[in-house]
Amino acid sequence: MTKRLSAEERRASIIKVAKRLFAQSGFHGVSIDEIVKEVGVSPAILYRHFESKDELYEAVLHEFSATRESYIEAVVADDISFEQVLRGMTTVFISSITNHPDMLKMEMHSQLEGSEASQEFFLNRWKSFTDYIEFNLTELQSLKKIKPINAQAAALIYQGIIREVLLQKCLQQTDRFHDTPVATLVDEVINLFMKVIEPARV
Amino acid sequence: MSFDAELDAKGLNCPLPILRAKKAISALSSGQVLKIIATDPGSVKDFEAFCNQTGNELLSSAEAGGAFEFMIKKS
Repeated sequence: MTKRLSAEERRASIIKVAKRLFAQSGFHGVSIDEIVKEVGVSPAILYRHFESKDELYEAVLHEFSATRESYIEAVVADDISFEQVLRGMTTVFISSITNHPDMLKMEMHSQLEGSEASQEFFLNRWKSFTDYIEFNLTELQSLKKIKPINAQAAALIYQGIIREVLLQKCLQQTDRFHDTPVATLVDEVINLFMKVIEPARV
Repeated sequence: MSFDAELDAKGLNCPLPILRAKKAISALSSGQVLKIIATDPGSVKDFEAFCNQTGNELLSSAEAGGAFEFMIKKS
């Protein structure tokens, strides 16, 4: 016999199951029927909390946004050079995804499904990095501290390598990087990235 | 409220507004006020945390027309 849950607990239990199923099969790959079956409630109960599948999906995204990464530590440190802050931010981001791999799975599904809400949500998370990189590289160039570089392309390169590290380490878990801890792999790719941003020779 | 310097961080995602605020504050003297305008909703919590950790005083935090306005007094 299932325990009677408060409205809040019921809502949370639906979100929890929905998160797992959306991560596994994507928005279109999951039906309301499957969700209620796993939760063990009738569709009427689910619709009492969420008007539609879209609304439930957005509630899952909303929950992810509550676990939003805090980059404060990375920027209040004494060393706020471009490289140090980038390393600090990346460490926070990687550990957040490692703790919530469902978020990465939903992001991958959203790339194909094209829901506006999810694309905006995931784009916005990467925007912390791309804004940071583009702004700082543009500034460093105007101060002539680095050689001319296309800041937008550099931000894209960075997003690409970090996303690939996450895919390799959190989703595919292939043998290829089995012996390399995620932190080491991240360090190495940032080392390579920093070589792209050559200091200007004066 | 009067202020001594202003930072426009509209359209930028955290932590960039915080980082730019940190640099702007370092150019101020103790007691001077920096006004910041940002649009990232996360900036509300972030500026609170920033002030807690740095000892600068968050004089006000307000939302108007989809933007957030912060007044920070340098410690």
